[in-house]
Amino acid sequence: MDHKSYEMVNLKFKVTGRGDKLFFGVSRIAAYFAFSLVFLIVIFLSRASAGTFKDQGLAFFTGSTWSDQDGIYQIFPMLVGSVLCSLIGLFIAAPISIAIAYFTEYMAPPRLARALTNIIDLLAALPSIVIAIWGSFVFAPVAAGWAQLLHKYLGSIPGFKNTSEQFLGSPFIAGWILAIMMTPIITSVAREMIGAVDKDLVSAAYALGGTKFSTMRRVVLPTAKGGITGGILLGLGRGLGETVAVLYVLNLLFVVNLDIFEGHGGSIAPMIAAYYGEASEKGVSALLAAGVALFLITLVVTFVAQTILSRSERKMAS
Amino acid sequence: MTTLQSSEFPVASMPWRNRSRKKIVAIVLASAAPLAITFVLAKMYEIPGLFALLLVFLPLQLLSASISSIAIVGRRGIADAILSVAILFLVGIMVALLGSTVVSLLIRGFKALSIHALYQNSFTITSITSLDYGGLGHAILGTTIIVGIAVTLAIPIGIAVGIFLTETRSPMNAAIRFLSQSLSGLPSIVSGLFVFAFLFLTGLVQRAAVLGSIALFLLMLPTIIRLSEDVFKLVPQELRFAALALGAPRHKAFFQVVFPAARSGIITTCLLGTARIIGETAPLIVLVTYLPSTNVNPFSGDMAALPTYIYTWLKYSTDFANQRAWGGALTLMILVGILFTMARYLGRKKI
Repeated sequence: MDHKSYEMVNLKFKVTGRGDKLFFGVSRIAAYFAFSLVFLIVIFLSRASAGTFKDQGLAFFTGSTWSDQDGIYQIFPMLVGSVLCSLIGLFIAAPISIAIAYFTEYMAPPRLARALTNIIDLLAALPSIVIAIWGSFVFAPVAAGWAQLLHKYLGSIPGFKNTSEQFLGSPFIAGWILAIMMTPIITSVAREMIGAVDKDLVSAAYALGGTKFSTMRRVVLPTAKGGITGGILLGLGRGLGETVAVLYVLNLLFVVNLDIFEGHGGSIAPMIAAYYGEASEKGVSALLAAGVALFLITLVVTFVAQTILSRSERKMAS
Repeated sequence: MTTLQSSEFPVASMPWRNRSRKKIVAIVLASAAPLAITFVLAKMYEIPGLFALLLVFLPLQLLSASISSIAIVGRRGIADAILSVAILFLVGIMVALLGSTVVSLLIRGFKALSIHALYQNSFTITSITSLDYGGLGHAILGTTIIVGIAVTLAIPIGIAVGIFLTETRSPMNAAIRFLSQSLSGLPSIVSGLFVFAFLFLTGLVQRAAVLGSIALFLLMLPTIIRLSEDVFKLVPQELRFAALALGAPRHKAFFQVVFPAARSGIITTCLLGTARIIGETAPLIVLVTYLPSTNVNPFSGDMAALPTYIYTWLKYSTDFANQRAWGGALTLMILVGILFTMARYLGRKKI
């Protein structure tokens, strides 16, 4: 008998007796609590920031001024910055993660693969404040050097300009830091997906004379594509919401900046942390509004990621 | 009667043993030559490190790997060689970054750590006080209290949700799983803001460390739910049915059969969940004001925690303040490392 038929039998049980009622009652309450949390968060944050949305109108999302004295709160540069930094992060983290996943599943001897898996899991557990302190003292000066070098040769291309000769605090550096935080998430999903590719399929490709490269490109990657996309989106959600690590390496400025080497940028989450301490009452409400915007964006990204992941998991299983 | 000569026995070819001298020379040259050439060129023309690595070493390595693969397997090997080099290069980048983090933590952090630093607090310590005075004992205590409350909230509730998702088949299961997992994307700062809006702005709770615990609880919950559901799913259905067939009520079947079978997995779950939130900084910045002296009451007053301790010292630019921050970061990393190692060690025993 296979697993599925057991589950069908399971449906027949009736909850009787006080012990069972308590057991299932408690777990049902917990489950509905977890279910309702997302709504609670959206409702309470929106209620607390309703004033800001009413005062600022649509300009809250499209304007570029943030001034506590004048009571103007607009987050467009931060929105753009969040997306820009996360995209740079993904551009770095996605190939690295897929490479690590492929390496552990297909290339490395078992012991090395296990060690590397542990190392990447440890990377996932690195607190962001630890990345922050390392990033600002050790990594940022080095990465600023890289940025300067790259700028020297690529500076004429739009998007790589730097007019201030100030390379610290650029989206480029923030992107690297985000890449470090995204890699463990994307890697763990990619490893699962690449590992779940039917080994017979891979053997068949080899038997037909395929090389490692053609097998990866034509068999492994297409089969695992959906899952890897989901993992990349999960990483994107992580990058959009990262606060402290970015706060220390990004020079926050309310100016829209699309040049990755320019020494200033924006990101919503660190902006909230940076302005929270000395915000007035209206300012706090505006920061809560920024939090709502951030939450809705990450929620959509996570929703899409989860939908893709569960669909591709089902496809893999069948 | 003829006897078989030993040369007539069929011999297993064992192609993996087939290491001719040509092959070995090719492999050694392919791995050593690019490094040597890059080193010499970089010294001669003073090429900056990144360019030496990206524009000299990488192409040379690709070239030499291709040549050696032609020597070994012929033209078909080129793509494979390039793939291998590219993958090793990408893996190397991430390992180097992580290695740099750990090494600089160890080097800079140990300077600030001493026995007295582990139990003293930072009352009356300023950014120019020498490291002979003061420490982060209050922050370790505060982290233990704040994280402890979060963990005692999250583990029973998370496991209860895990029970609901595995032991029942209600039509709501998929929705509950989906929405509770979408919380795993909750940015840590938003969790702090939510607790602020929900409990503080509405006047339900005064400013106290327990607010931070609740924010951490929200961040920990999805991890516990997902992991505990996975662990309970691993317990074979036969065990459940055997217990039920013997006449056990569902809750007894769970607590006396399923739960003990899943125990080591549950312990791992708890440890990994704790490791994930112990260093969360953003919600504590919003909710719990840093206090330089010791406070053990989570329900009133400010409290120190390791992340906010680091955050506070990073605001100053003096050497002593920076070293204290590095010391705090190393302590935090050691705590995470302990939790992580325990989880790996206990998790190895399979159910």
